[in-house]
Amino acid sequence: MITFNNLSLVYPNGTPGLKNVNLTINEGEFVVIVGLSGAGKSTFIRSINRMVTPTEGELWVEDENVLELSGKSLRTLRTKVGMIFQNYNLVNRSSVFKNTISGRLGHTGTFRSIFNLYPKEDKIKAYENLKRVNIENYIYQRADQLSGGQQQRVSIARVLTQDPKVILADEPVASLDPPTSHQVMQYLRRINKEDNITTIVNLHFIDMAMEYADRIIGMRDGEVVFDGPASDVSEKTFEQIYNRPIREDDLRGSESDDGEE
Amino acid sequence: MTEKNNKQNSNVYSLYPRKLKTQISIIFLIVILFYFYSLSETGSDFLTLFLDFPDIVKKLASMFPPNWEYIPLAIDPLVETIQIAVVATTFSVLICIPASLLAANTITTNKFIYQITRTFLNILRTIPDILLATIFVSLFGIGIIPGILALTIFSLGLLAKLLSETIETIDARQLDAIRSTGGNIVQVIWYGVVPQVLPQFISYGLYVFELNVRASLVLGFVGAGGIGTIIDTQLNFLKYQNVMAILIVLLVAVIIIETISNMLRRRVV
Repeated sequence: MITFNNLSLVYPNGTPGLKNVNLTINEGEFVVIVGLSGAGKSTFIRSINRMVTPTEGELWVEDENVLELSGKSLRTLRTKVGMIFQNYNLVNRSSVFKNTISGRLGHTGTFRSIFNLYPKEDKIKAYENLKRVNIENYIYQRADQLSGGQQQRVSIARVLTQDPKVILADEPVASLDPPTSHQVMQYLRRINKEDNITTIVNLHFIDMAMEYADRIIGMRDGEVVFDGPASDVSEKTFEQIYNRPIREDDLRGSESDDGEE
Repeated sequence: MTEKNNKQNSNVYSLYPRKLKTQISIIFLIVILFYFYSLSETGSDFLTLFLDFPDIVKKLASMFPPNWEYIPLAIDPLVETIQIAVVATTFSVLICIPASLLAANTITTNKFIYQITRTFLNILRTIPDILLATIFVSLFGIGIIPGILALTIFSLGLLAKLLSETIETIDARQLDAIRSTGGNIVQVIWYGVVPQVLPQFISYGLYVFELNVRASLVLGFVGAGGIGTIIDTQLNFLKYQNVMAILIVLLVAVIIIETISNMLRRRVV
């Protein structure tokens, strides 16, 4: 369970990132955060694993207030909260397998990780997770030789290898074409259901949000302006969140569109 | 229509604005004046150079034919030169790793430590290698130790500068990903930084090795060991044919080293 308690964040240059956010995300929920760029979606998500530091309020992940963590306890939190990025953020020059096993870093001692002395079950786990996202044929390829969709699948495998309780995905499909986007969202959705991992995804495509989310949180200017089950949401709701009429580019489009895979 | 276009085009007769052209002409003129001023002030003029030309030819001619018998005597000092370069490069490559991490703002977020390290490295680079060698020769006496020390310090400044600047240009998002898995700072460096800078690092190391081979030659003149020492002696004895033989040995050695290092570099980058 993740609880935001009067959480605010002001960046050092004075820009407000979050304004007084109050909400609770339950275990196993699939939450999609929508909003225009600059609405605070990324700040919201990155607060949960403390990639950014909120300036006020409380943020509870399970029984820890992440604002009070530092050093070792912060790293322990991060092993429980996995993250997927818009640009996949794989280490380009390392192999797919090395990128995947790096999900174990938080669980592995410094010495062991430098000399690649991972326990056998960790290596099996990494391989199984690559198999889960159907990318196991590429394990010794360099990460930058894969297509965008393949790289994002590797980054899902990396997150899974962490054994996370929560997965955060920051615009995971913004750099992908429509069919690949749906594929990635389907993987995230399936993992959420099968492993009961709380999943929080930033999206700005309203059709995808409606298709995959259990619950939608709408943000504008750092504030939560909508919070409700996906079934309650219509285009009208999005027009309220975005504060403007819906446009063509707010939609990702269907799976059958032409694309790379 | 065409006539109107032509008329417009006729105004565009230059690639640059007229003002810029005037400015550049003035600057150019000032540079030329300064050049002639320096020539007359330092008392160097090309006339004497041309008048002395026969002397120069005579001196060059006295280097030929090279004394081939001297070559075996030059091999040992050459090996010593290469040894100095290898040891100095190894030391500086090892020391530059922590130094450049501390001098890269992607890793060292503490502004104070960052600035201190940068300043320290800048100072290191300001000291000429020949000065370092002179100081160390007076401290440790003639031999290869002062050469090694001087080159280590000199190439440390250079390598750390190159490497830290490379570390500052890496993709920080890849580091974020490692951090988000709960990795500590050493793991972030090993898994995120090292793969991104390793090819450049190897390339810089080889480049500095080449530099060190050539620099250790000059350092021999101040007694810091290596092949420079015998060039200095033979010059003083006016044995120009011996000097030429040494130079040929050196040329071959430098070409071989550069070829190998270029081959290695192409492999890794």
